[in-house]
Parts: sequence; structure tokens; C-alpha cells
Amino acid sequence: MSKNARVIKYVFVLPAIIYLILLTIYPLIYSLKISVTTLNIARPYPPQYIGLSNFVELLKDSIFLTAMKNTFFLTVLSICAEFILGFIIARFFFMGANLKLKGVGLLRTIYMLPMMVTPLVFGLIWLYIFNPTLGVANYLLSLLGFPPISWFGSTNIALYSIVLINVWEWTPFMMLLCLAGLSTIPPELFEVARIDGAGWHQSIAFIELPLVRRVILIGLMIRIMDNFRLFDLVYVTTGGGPGSSTETLSMFTYRQSFMFFNVGYGAAASIIILILGIILAQILIKSVWGKEEYA
Amino acid sequence: MRKREIKTTLLYVVLILITFLSISPLIWIFLTAFKIRREIFAIPPVWIPKLPTLNNFISIFTGGFSRTPFIYNSIIISLSTTLLAMVIATMAAYGFAKFRVPRSKDIEFWILSTRMMPPIAVVIPLFLLFRNVGLLDTKRGLIMVYIAFNLPFAIWMMSIFFRQLPREIEEAAVIDGCSTFSLLRYISLPLVAPGLAVVAIFTFYFTWNELLFALILTGRVAKTFPVSISEFRGVVNIRWGPMAASSIVHIAPVIVITFLLQKYIIAGLTLGAIKK
Repeated sequence: MSKNARVIKYVFVLPAIIYLILLTIYPLIYSLKISVTTLNIARPYPPQYIGLSNFVELLKDSIFLTAMKNTFFLTVLSICAEFILGFIIARFFFMGANLKLKGVGLLRTIYMLPMMVTPLVFGLIWLYIFNPTLGVANYLLSLLGFPPISWFGSTNIALYSIVLINVWEWTPFMMLLCLAGLSTIPPELFEVARIDGAGWHQSIAFIELPLVRRVILIGLMIRIMDNFRLFDLVYVTTGGGPGSSTETLSMFTYRQSFMFFNVGYGAAASIIILILGIILAQILIKSVWGKEEYA
Repeated sequence: MRKREIKTTLLYVVLILITFLSISPLIWIFLTAFKIRREIFAIPPVWIPKLPTLNNFISIFTGGFSRTPFIYNSIIISLSTTLLAMVIATMAAYGFAKFRVPRSKDIEFWILSTRMMPPIAVVIPLFLLFRNVGLLDTKRGLIMVYIAFNLPFAIWMMSIFFRQLPREIEEAAVIDGCSTFSLLRYISLPLVAPGLAVVAIFTFYFTWNELLFALILTGRVAKTFPVSISEFRGVVNIRWGPMAASSIVHIAPVIVITFLLQKYIIAGLTLGAIKK
């Protein structure tokens, strides 16, 4: 390789690397520095160094622990529902595509629209649908003879309402990935299985699920990380309430830092979130790329 | 043959029902945007507006509650981010795909893992740093952050496309005396145009929809459209009509792009999962 080429490759690669270091690594180091202080941006006096007190405090903070529990719960519940529904719906679209039905492609595009809409707007729409007095959800329930539900007002139900909206918006994503996975299976396999007398459930268990495993894992990985940092939907519907029943990790940190201005405490929380996120990402990436060679 | 017809019909019914259910919240907000106040508050609900009105839309573009400046901010921020992120990412991806960069696997892995980073973890220090250097509440500042958050996906996607290019084409061009930059400009880039489209769509989509960074890093001046929409909540009497109209204005470009460029969107969503 000529000397010229050796220089040129850095011209290509370095801007991105430097940029990412400046805007992600450097702020994180700065965040570490703040997290061991009492910094509060609403107070005029200078912050004091307090060691790991913020972290100790956090692990004793019942709201933070609730936020962690809620985040875990809503992630698991949402993802299970999204995957099961997504796979079933993908099979219907797959059948449609195999039978070469007219308009299946168009239906699929329309079907996936919710996931293209920002969770902020989607959440606001549901705020209207779930409104206790003028919402259409309770009206439809009343037609079926059910009593009205306090969707966002009850500490027992609010988190499930969030999960419902979340699943409604993101099932199309899992469905698209499952569909893409199903389409890569050679049609002969289904043919052979049919000739051998395999039923539809055997086809799912022994052909479809194993062969789309990788796609499913990547989909799960993306959605787990999305849910782990869920903010918009909660911010716009419940704001973490009632009480702290829908508090998530991101919401907690936001409130501490930008409503109570406890930036030191918030930074400590964000570091815990980051560490949890890194561990989670490592586990997920390993499980997806595990035995295969990465890249 | 008859059995097949029944099966086809049933499948159509199922698919149409699923699709309708999926987008029913969007249909509902669309209908609401054209309703007068009385119809919005009616119980039982008025499904189709009997007295359709454009007042909700007029109210978000004019008068004291006008959202026009925020829509303008969002357009500028989204387009600038998309353009700049594409340039930086294309160069980096090309570098990784075509040259031997030391430890490139590790670097690429690091870049990809920054995509996993929870935004809340960087937004606090960014807020403080921006406050010190006067970038708070500026479009420039927000664009800088958005570029950083879109680079990982963009680099990853572009490097998949660059790696698929047959080597022979480029080798031939080099033998013909093509320099590195003109090789990229005239040979490689046109061939990875679909990848550029995917990156452009996803970057625009992310930027246009983003809330958390904009909420914290902007204020009166550089406030984005999503932040201004989020302000509908948190008041006692939500103005549902203008809220619905704002929502429609916000999602309209997204829906248009989805229909026109769905091929690229599906590629962007599934490519990384299927090929690697």
C-alpha cells in the first residue's frame, strides 16, 4: 500500500471517530465527574464532592427501585406480546404473499404505519382515546356492557395501559422482521415437509421458528433496548404517575435532573442506567452473534 | 378450487381486519382533527364530522398559538442532520469497507454499541456542557447531537452496502487512473445509492420524531415541532382539536415517505437482520 493510501484511509475514518468521541465519550466522562457531587443547577452555591453517596442513596431510593422494576416488567410484557402477535400476523401476510393475493403489499404498508408515527403523537392519540369522560375506549366498553376503566388514573392499571399502547405501536416492527425471516426460507422446505405429512404446527416448530431465529433475536434485541430507554410514551401519557406506578428509568432521571434540578443525583442514576444498558447489550449481542463470527 | 376461493376470501377478511385495527387510532385522530369543539366533546362520539372544519389547522398556523416557527425549526434541523450525517457516515463506512484500518472490527463494534446507549445517559452532561459554551437552545447544538446519534446506524448500514460492491469494478477504475476520491464519487457512490436512501430516510425519521434531546436542549428559540406538540398535555383542559391537527401535520410527511419509499424502509429495518 502506498504512503498516500495510508493517509487517505484516516481522512475517511477519523472524522466520524473523533466526532463520536467528542459527543458521546467525553460527555460520559463529564457525567461521571458530576455524579459524585451535590450539583443542583437551581442553587447558587458550588457543588461539593460527596464520593459515591449518590449511588448509595439511589439504591435505597424506593422510587428508583420502582422505576427499575417497572422498566423490567413493561419490557418483558411488551416484548412477549409483540413477538407472539407479530409472528401470527406475519404468517397471515406470508400466506397472502404466497397465494399472490392482490393488494397484500399495500395492506402491509398501511398496517405498519403506527410504528412510523412518533411515540409522542401515538401516545397523545391514546390519551384522547383513554380519556375518562370523552374517550372512545370507555364508550365502546359501555356498548359491550363493561364498566368504565380508569386507564391512566389507577395505579393498578396505568402500567398495563402503557404496555397496550406500546404493543399496538411496535407489533408491526416484529411482524416485518418475522415476515422478512419467513421470506428467506426456501419454498422447497415447506413442500418437502408437506409431502412428509408435517402439520402446520410442526412446520412452525421445526422449520419456521428455527430458521427465522436470527431475525427474531435481532428484533428482540432492538426492542429490548428501545423499551429499556422508554421515555416519550410515558412522558406524554402519565408523566410517571399516578404515584410512581408508571415511572421508568428514563422518566425518573429526567424528573430528578430537570424538574428537581438535582443534576448530581440524576447523573448518578444515568450512570447506573448506562451500566445496566451495557451489560444488557453485551448479553444480547453475544446471544445473537454468539457462535457465528461477528461481521 | 372452491376450497381455495373460501380460503382466499377468509384471508382477505383477516388481513383487512388486522390492518384496520392497527391504524384505527390514526383514523380516529384524523377524523377528530376536522371536528368542531362540540363534536369532539360529544358522547356518544360523533364518528364522522358532520360539520367538517379547518379551524383546528388554521389555529396551529396562525395567531398566538402558532406552531409555524417550531415546524420551521424541525425542518431545518432534520434536513441539516440528514445531510451532514450522510456525508460523515459515508466516508467512514467507505474507509472501513475498502481500507485496512487497524483494529477496525473493534472500532466498528464500538460505533455500533454507541447506538445502544440510552439518550438519557448523555443528555445531562450535554446540557451542562452546552450551557457553558452557549449551545443551549440553538439549532446548531441540537443538530450536532442528532448527527452523533445517527452516525452509528448510518455507518453500519453504509458499510453493509459498500462491502457488497464487487471489487473488480473498483480495481478496473484504479487501473484506469482513477483517484480515491473520484472513485468514491463517480463509481462507488452511485452504486450504493439505495443505501444512501435508507440512511437518509432513517436519519430524517429519527430527527423529525425525536423528543427527549429537544425537550432538554432547546427552549424558546430552537424549540422543535415534537416539543411544541408535547406541550398539549399537562394542562387541565387539553385543546383536543388543535392537538389532533398538529398530530396530523406532524405525521403527514412521515406517512407520505412511508408510502413512496417503503422499499427502502423495509430494507433498512430488515437488512441488518438478514444479511451480514
